[in-house]
Formats: sequence, C-alpha cells, structure tokens
Amino acid sequence: MLLKAKFKLPERARRAFPDRLGSLVAAGFEDRGEEDGGSDQALELGEELETFLPSGFGSGRELGGYNGDDDDDQGRRGGLVEPKVVLAKPNKEAQVSASVSEVIAADDKRSDLEYELSQKEINLEKLQRNASSGLPDGGSLRAKAWKLLLGYLPASRDLWDKELTDNRTKYAKLKGELLLNPSEFSRRNGKGLSFNERYADRDVDGALERHDVSNEDHPLSLGKASVWHQYFQFTEVLEQIERDLQRTHPDMKFFSADSSLSRKNRDAMRNILLLFAKLNPAIRYVQGMNEVLAPLYYVFSTDTEEQNAAYAEPDSFACFVRLLSDSVDHFCEQLDNSPMGIHSTLSRLSELLKANDEELWRHLEFTTKVNPQFYAFRWITLLLTQEFDFHSILRIWDSLLSNPFGVQEMLLRVCCAMLLCVKSRLLSGDFVANLKLLQRYPDINIEHLLRVAHDITPDRSSFDMSSNLLLDG
Amino acid sequence: MVLVLAIGDLHIPHRAPDLPAKFKSMLVPGKIQHIICTGNLCIKEVHDYLKSLCPSLHITRGEYDEDARYPETKTLTIGQFKLGLCHGHQVVPWGDLDSLAMLQRQLDVDILVSGHTHQFKAYKHEAGVVINPGSATGAYSSITYDVNPSFVLMDIDSLRVVVYVYELIDGEVKVDKIDFKKTATATTHSAH
Repeated sequence: MLLKAKFKLPERARRAFPDRLGSLVAAGFEDRGEEDGGSDQALELGEELETFLPSGFGSGRELGGYNGDDDDDQGRRGGLVEPKVVLAKPNKEAQVSASVSEVIAADDKRSDLEYELSQKEINLEKLQRNASSGLPDGGSLRAKAWKLLLGYLPASRDLWDKELTDNRTKYAKLKGELLLNPSEFSRRNGKGLSFNERYADRDVDGALERHDVSNEDHPLSLGKASVWHQYFQFTEVLEQIERDLQRTHPDMKFFSADSSLSRKNRDAMRNILLLFAKLNPAIRYVQGMNEVLAPLYYVFSTDTEEQNAAYAEPDSFACFVRLLSDSVDHFCEQLDNSPMGIHSTLSRLSELLKANDEELWRHLEFTTKVNPQFYAFRWITLLLTQEFDFHSILRIWDSLLSNPFGVQEMLLRVCCAMLLCVKSRLLSGDFVANLKLLQRYPDINIEHLLRVAHDITPDRSSFDMSSNLLLDG
Repeated sequence: MVLVLAIGDLHIPHRAPDLPAKFKSMLVPGKIQHIICTGNLCIKEVHDYLKSLCPSLHITRGEYDEDARYPETKTLTIGQFKLGLCHGHQVVPWGDLDSLAMLQRQLDVDILVSGHTHQFKAYKHEAGVVINPGSATGAYSSITYDVNPSFVLMDIDSLRVVVYVYELIDGEVKVDKIDFKKTATATTHSAH
C-alpha cells in the first residue's frame, strides 16, 4: 500500500495531529493537490503539493472538478481541518529515507484503519477515503473493509453479529433448498414410515414392494415441476461452471492445486455460482463470473479472523451478489444495445476519453479504428481481473469499491487511465499494435495508474454526473 | 447419485420394430451414467443407439444376439453396490428365483440383473436382490405373448438404491419405485 512511488517525505509520517487521527491518514492521501498544472503525469520531480481534505473529499467531487482551487472552500465547508501545503524535499534525501518512511507510513495506515474499524459507528466516508489509497494485505482489515464498502456489514458495529448470522443462515437455507441433489431430496421427503417398517425385518424374503411414483418424480421425467427435470436443466450450467473454475487463476495454488483445500475452495465457489445461476434464471451463469468471484472469495477466506474465514462462502455469496448488481446488465446479451447494456457503457468510456484527451481519442476512434468493444469489453465486465496480476487486482479493487459514486464510475476512470498511461505507445501504433497492446496490458505501477484515474475529469455530459450535480444543488 | 439404466430383451428387428415412442422420448442422453443390458438386442444398430445414450454400456449375450462377442455374465461395481449381469436363458428353470439366487451367490454380487422372461420382477432374498427389467419393447417371449414393455432405472446413492420401474400399460407410462438399502455389513449376512 505504497502511498507514493518514490518521493516520500519522512516528515509526513511523523507529523502529528493528535486530535485528529483522520488527518494523519489523509496525510498519505495526497492526490488532491496535484491537479495544479493539470498534467496526468506522475509527480513532477521534487515537487508535490498536498492538502488535507478529510471531509472535503466528498464535496470536491460534487463540484465536478478535482482542481486544487477548492482547498479554501474545503476549510469552510468541511470545517474540520485547515488545508496544509508542503513543499517536498529534493529527491536524493527523500529517496534515502524512502523505504523507512514507507514502512512507517504503512504501519500508520494500518493502525488508523484498525482504529477506524473498531469504532462503534463506522464513518463510511472516511473508510472510503482510506480504502481508496489502498488497504493492507493480510490480516483481516481488507476483508472487513470490503464487507463494509459493499454494504454487507452495516455501519454500526452492534448490528454486525445479527446481520452476519442472518445472512449466513439464509445462505444455508438457500443452499439446502436449491442445491440439493434430487435423490437426497426424495430421500428426505420419501415415505418415511414404510421405510422403517420394511427395514425392521431384514429377513423377509420375497417380492419387493412397489410404490407408486407421483408428481412425475422420477429421473426421466420431462415435467417442468419435477425436481429431477430442474436438476438436469442445470447440468449444462454446472459443467460450464466446473470448466471455468478449473481455469481460474491457474498460477495460484489457492484456486487450482490438487490439494483438498484447493478443491474445497473450488467447491465453495461452485456452490456460490450455481446458487446465483439458479436464483437468476434470466442470466444464469456467464463465463467470467468466476473471475469476479475469485478476489472476493480469496480475501474473505484468507481473513485471519477464524470466525470470518469459516464463513467465507456465505459472505462471498452476499458480496458477490451486491457487487454484480451494478453490472449484471453487462452480462445479459439481450440488453447489449440498451441504455444499461455493455455497449452504452463502452460508449461512456469513449466519451470519458474524449473529454480527457481528445487527441488520443481521435487517434483510437478514427485513425486506428480501435473501438472500445475490442479491448474494454473484458476490462469492464470482469472488473479488470484479467488484466493485472492478483495482487494488483486487490489493490485496484480497493479503489473501485471505495468510490463513493459506485464501482462502475471508478471502473470507467481506471479504464480511461489505462489508456492515458500508454498514450505514447498508442499514438505511435496502428490497429494491430494497439489492439495487441490493449488486450495484453503491460505491467504498470498501479499506484500511478490509480492516481491518474483519480485525476480524470469526469465527462460532464454524462447523465450520472449531472444528476449528482442536481442533487447537491 | 448414479443413474443406472437396466434394459434388455428388445428383440429388434425380429420381434419388435423399435422402442415405444413414449420410452424413447424419455431416454435422452446426458442423464444416465451407466447402462446395463441383459441381452437380446439383437442387432448392432440397437447397440449404437444405447451407446449414444450413455458411453458406459455393459451388455451380456442373449441367445438371439447377432454379436457373439458379448460375455455370458458380467459384474461391475457402482458406488457401494456390486452388480451382476446375465441374460438368464442359461439359468434353468427360466426365471426360477432359487436358481437365480444360486447364480447370484456364484457371482458374489448384491444386485443381479437378468432377463429372458420378459416379465418385470424385483425380488429380495438373503443373498441379495434380483431384478428383471422385462422387455423394453414388449416383444413376445418363449413363455408368453402378453408382455408389457418395461425397463428399470436405478438411482444408486452410497448405500441406498431407489429402483424406478417404467412400464407401458395401455399406452400410458406408469412409474413405480422401490427402495432398498444395503447395510454396512454384507447383505448375505442375515440378522442372527
């Protein structure tokens, strides 16, 4: 969770505002001030501006711009903290103490987060801000933060236990109802009495009793109401899910090894996906949903708090449903050309790019004719899980989930940032080269990418932003 | 949950042209894991048809089968159950339960599936269970002309078997089921 790539001020970490822990964290959260100069590059050498905007973050957004000019307003609006501007030290000194301060800053961040999350009433806005600059790996902070950000856990701690048990029992019940093997089902409902009678007397030889089968409850039944028929309808879905699960993150032992733990993980994920498919017959299962589930399940089951890790499956199911509720329309083929569908989102991406860098946009759209649907389809539907390595995915998802305007909004920004970051290569490439580049996105410093994403000017002509403007007066 | 289809004595093309349409509409690929066939298909086309329903096909030789390579008896293990397969014309008197029980003890199986009589039977004796799936086409037998088409589908689930009997009576498919369990100790061990 590096706050800055290279230029770390040792002082920053030691600066103390004992009365306001929030601001210590905001210390690591530097980006606001960089809009000056409007460059989408990383930091200019030796110079950085930082501002503390604990509550100002939200209002900064609402004004629709990220320019530092709002600083003064923040003081009046947020009323919590005065803005502070600090000039950086020249590189050399900074670099020497860089790694130490990184560690200190990371520790600070962790303890801040722990403090935050141990409050009775969690300040979601603050959490969003903290999370967007990265959550610590390991421990249980990320799992908790994600659950809060996705709305699975309510903001007040007292309600956590109840919510969790409610959801977990609900899940178990759903599983029992929908994922049951038909033969188990018939066993449970089956003629209990005659069973016992017959087996009381093991020695009876003779013709076995025949019982009438009602309700079309036999395996070859073609009736819609039959448990068996419904079961077989989903075998195709099940096969698809199995196949995809085998291919999830083949480089990670957690998912793809032959060990019993790994198989257990795959089983859990299979249950989640199958349950989702059964509960949403309109979409059922689409290839790729396993990739969206993978980071969630990973984070929740590597939660160091035993209690939570044991319930990773129901928790991941609930959060998966929440996460997908935004983008579920992207998976539905019929909605492709509708305002909610994937094509409309892709054109929003185009518009966003146009609003931020018309030259690049023109080059892609017209000169090289690289349409977003050739590369961004997978970026958007799978929430960037296929473009980066696992660790980066978790970091990016920290930002995605903590955006107060929603995952999709941030997703578009990150996609746009991805384009901007390889701008020079794109400008010098033709259709083939660009497509190749974008479909196998090169390794990049994630923090830099996310910074660029933060700085992106939102597309003012888009519906969402304007509706937000209206709401906030 | 393993679905095993027990079927046999079709006598196609000599005594019957094809399976009844209602049976054919129910037998679709993808649901059944194993097929055990008592024999008397009689021709290769029927063999291919059964193979298309399920790749795992076990078959024993009936006296009218044109393919002489099928074995006389076969045993296989599915789940916790040992199944034995034999056409039944070799066991004399035909259809006699005691003689079949002897065969079952010889093969040392929990469930013996045999045919030839073209009559459905499911019988339990101390050595295990004998199932006769009857004739799936309703072909006449050496014993009687009055034959209802029938076949059997077994749902084997660890120690429990549910046997679904499909019979075509007066043009309608009638389904019955039979439950039995195997105790953890061998079924040959009677409770003393």
